[in-house]
Amino acid sequence: MKYWLLLVSAWLVVTSATAQDVYTCKNARLSFFSSAPMEDIEAKTDKGASALNKKTKEVFFKVAISSFDFKKKLMQEHFNENYLESDKYPFAEFKGKINEDVDLSKDGTFPVTVTGTLNIHGVDKVYTAKGTLTTQGNTITVNSTFNVRVADHHIKVPTLVVKNIAEVVAVTVNAIYTPYSNK
Amino acid sequence: MKIIPAILLCLAAGTAAQAQNSLEKLFDSTGTTHTRVRDTYKSTRIIQGQSTETLRKHELDFRVAHRFGDAGGEFGGTKTFFGTDNSTDIRIAFEYGISDNLMVGISRSKGAGNLRQLYEGLVKYRFLQQTTDNYVPVSVAVFGNMVISGMPSATDKTAPDYFGTTADRMTYVAQALVSRKFAERLSLTLMPTYVHRNRVSYMDMNNMFALGAAGRLKLSKRLGLLAEYYYPFRTTESKDYFKSLGTKFYNPLGVGLEIETGGHVFSITFTNSTAILENQFIPETTTSWLQGQFRWGFNISRRFTLFGKKDWKK
Repeated sequence: MKYWLLLVSAWLVVTSATAQDVYTCKNARLSFFSSAPMEDIEAKTDKGASALNKKTKEVFFKVAISSFDFKKKLMQEHFNENYLESDKYPFAEFKGKINEDVDLSKDGTFPVTVTGTLNIHGVDKVYTAKGTLTTQGNTITVNSTFNVRVADHHIKVPTLVVKNIAEVVAVTVNAIYTPYSNK
Repeated sequence: MKIIPAILLCLAAGTAAQAQNSLEKLFDSTGTTHTRVRDTYKSTRIIQGQSTETLRKHELDFRVAHRFGDAGGEFGGTKTFFGTDNSTDIRIAFEYGISDNLMVGISRSKGAGNLRQLYEGLVKYRFLQQTTDNYVPVSVAVFGNMVISGMPSATDKTAPDYFGTTADRMTYVAQALVSRKFAERLSLTLMPTYVHRNRVSYMDMNNMFALGAAGRLKLSKRLGLLAEYYYPFRTTESKDYFKSLGTKFYNPLGVGLEIETGGHVFSITFTNSTAILENQFIPETTTSWLQGQFRWGFNISRRFTLFGKKDWKK
């Protein structure tokens, strides 16, 4: 019996210690922009979920593909139905880590790079993205823009609309984190 | 002491598990609530009749439908180039989404039954949409229209196109639509329908019920095979009477291909019915597939987003 009490308490210590370093954001804003000869396409969502561990510098993003909002609803339908296939692959996820050795316990603005795996359309690809990270008191703000090559994630663009959809899409991320609490 | 390694092991396991997984686990429940099933059909029409799809808010749909003449039989063959020299019915429509589930429209069609020169006002409301978790198993919509004929009245007072009053020019359809997307590739729809025609010829029916069934089998992401069938409940007396006059009614059956090309949805259809509107093709189809009296036709839908910038900025 004593064994288990000790084990459980040890586990709890670990859990609570790390939980303090975890910051989350449940309304991360993500948008992407495609500029092609025929038209510009832009979509955005404010329903991204993200977490950041101050100590281990790990970053996690998750967003529902169907939450992206387009100007043209028909385009939004096609985006979900034909290109991203959001029924099969409902989420885009990013798991990464901040490369720089920055002390996030201090206030300040840090230019950082994050390296990690981005999963879109069920296809993993490793990215290194530049961004800025600002810590101020109990909030952390992250801004980043990076490019995603549509073909890298096996998203097929038919030749008929090749002039409407860019090969490389610029993704912008904006998240404001607060300390994680279970409530 | 045996317990020390055990604690160390636990600490190590705890840290490792906590590291990346914990960040992921925080959002395990993200977005698992009743996602709506999209794209049961690509268009608001299947072949002739309505689907459970509606336009989105502030979308304008410009539709053109065309049905050619008989491909075979007496009026078909090479002399009319399989019907393409003739057109039995043409419909041009503007339809508009008031909300994501409510649409209205106006149309003008040639008409191919007793009445010609048809002006239509329509409304469709989808009040249930199927969800991926089967919390809502089907999509349900109701459709209604009112059609008035602009043609000159016949002089024969017994003719169906003799208009004693304006009301004689009117026909109506009320319809319930129940759809289910069974799998990515298969959608099926049932359409119980009621057609009311204010004026009909002797022994024809002012009120007629019909049951429609339709389906789509997707062949690829942008191509689907369509089929649509209506069974009108015409009374035996009525059938027999018209048979004695040499007129036989057939049940409308259509098959088609649904092709999506960016902003357009294009359907190539083959139907035995000559008319495009439910008000006519359900009660007044007298042409048969087996006698070569089927025709090819097409539906084109072009959707425009109005107020897109304004809505999107919000």
